[in-house]
Amino acid sequence: MTFITYKMTKSIALTGAAVGLLLMAGCAANKSTKPAAAAAKPAIWPLTLKDPAANESGAQIWAENCMRCHELRSPSQYTPAQWGVIIQYMRLKAGLTGVQAKKVLAFLQSASAH
Amino acid sequence: MTHKRRILISMAAALAIMPVAAAWADPAGGGADYKKLEQKYQLLQKQMATMAKQMSAMQKQQAKLKATQAKTGATNTKAIDREVKRLYRRVMKDSQKISDLEPGNIQVLIAGDVNFQFQNVQGSHSTFYADSSPMIQVRIDKNIFVNTAFDFYTQGGAAGGSAADIGAANINYELNNNMTLGGGLITSPIGGIVGQYNPAPWNRWLVDGSLEDALLPGNELGVWTRGGLPAPDKMGYLTYFLFVSNGPALTSTTDQNGASYNNLQFGNWDPAAQNGKTVGGRFSYIPIPNIEVGYSFEWARPSADGAITTTNSLINAVDFNSYYVNKKIDGLFRFRGGWTWDQVGQGVDSTGAFSLGGMSNGGQLEVAYQPSLCGIKYIDKMMAAFRYDRIDGPASSNFSNGASHEQRYSIGLDYWLHSNAVLKFEYEFDNLSNNLHGNNAMFVQFAVGI
Repeated sequence: MTFITYKMTKSIALTGAAVGLLLMAGCAANKSTKPAAAAAKPAIWPLTLKDPAANESGAQIWAENCMRCHELRSPSQYTPAQWGVIIQYMRLKAGLTGVQAKKVLAFLQSASAH
Repeated sequence: MTHKRRILISMAAALAIMPVAAAWADPAGGGADYKKLEQKYQLLQKQMATMAKQMSAMQKQQAKLKATQAKTGATNTKAIDREVKRLYRRVMKDSQKISDLEPGNIQVLIAGDVNFQFQNVQGSHSTFYADSSPMIQVRIDKNIFVNTAFDFYTQGGAAGGSAADIGAANINYELNNNMTLGGGLITSPIGGIVGQYNPAPWNRWLVDGSLEDALLPGNELGVWTRGGLPAPDKMGYLTYFLFVSNGPALTSTTDQNGASYNNLQFGNWDPAAQNGKTVGGRFSYIPIPNIEVGYSFEWARPSADGAITTTNSLINAVDFNSYYVNKKIDGLFRFRGGWTWDQVGQGVDSTGAFSLGGMSNGGQLEVAYQPSLCGIKYIDKMMAAFRYDRIDGPASSNFSNGASHEQRYSIGLDYWLHSNAVLKFEYEFDNLSNNLHGNNAMFVQFAVGI
């Protein structure tokens, strides 16, 4: 019963933060969603706001997020310096966090240089 | 061992920081100063390389230690984890300082797109059309970014007719990990679709779209804050984009049935048109990278020349964007959709009587499939696309919404020559209200992103 209450409350809080966007079905597929073990955490507030990107590689973030809106551009299409400009622009457009943008940039610059 | 390592790291960090600090304190100007700066830069690079090696060695050692501890059952790796993280942060910070010292650290990039098309729309002469939209993007430093975009295109009505437009002129300041502040002219986030497509025909699957053409604002001229942040408990990401900009102007338009209605005219850059400002924004939730769902709104108190003084307007929009790529389906499946409803509230004319009101609805659904993983040459670069879109136009009366309707079914076949070069063929079936036959259209377009 406690478990159900906790999950329900968490869902309501998340839904409010997403300004009423009802996407809980999509959440089920989230790789980083914690299973039952995580539900044992006692406190609901403060909600943990850890960036999932902390455990993701730049290549992964690049491959998964850029595809949402356009075809993937090969790292070799631009120089490392040019990628610096592009990522600043795409961070804005895609709503990336600074951490995500830095990781993607590091990957693209590294791949571009080789 | 740990203590020794800490001392080593501290010494290396101090060595790295000292020349950087000296370089920053050194007043610029003169050849001698430049040589000094160059020497410091080279020294700093060497020191950074040493630090990177040390970090790499530590990481290897850390991995070994973890493996050993896993075997023996010990779990206390926190201290070494902290040290590695601290060193990593220091290396990243110093790397940034080095890149700031590098010659040409203000970067300029010419981007944008070019496209040309042949179009044959019923009721009009067929024509070729060309469009060039260059963008100048400048990275001033790691926090400041400037973007300018133009649009040059051919236009009928006069021999050699062409038109020029400005698509973006904005300055952005990255305040922190989750927030950027900006101002100027920027693509509107309302409805999601315009923002995702812009600036490009090169990443569209189909040529035209009535939702973006008729209902959604294209640009906002104002100030904004935007960014992304992780959703609680690692359940994806949230993005936001909030702005204050010039409000839409209110204009009178006549639909195909001859009815007159009031229309919101976006892209209002003229203070003479009206003084009202608009407040709007878009929020989206990305539970997994493949899916994004957004909600946007834009509220304004527009006014117009003539009898109508003021009224309220509100745009609401929801949008959905997703893709799925898997060997099981031999490729890539894309799905985008959106629905928008504009409400122009009751206005008050010069006599005090209520005068207008109306609602416009519209939406579109787009699906596309590309067998990119099928392994068959040429076929793997083809994409089939379909779109349904509709507009229920505003009524002349507040009590009979939807005086005019238009529905379009579009089918398209694209061939991707490159990740940013696409050749498209599209045919649109157009239907109007009262069973009127619309203007079917055929397009062939070649678009390249720069």
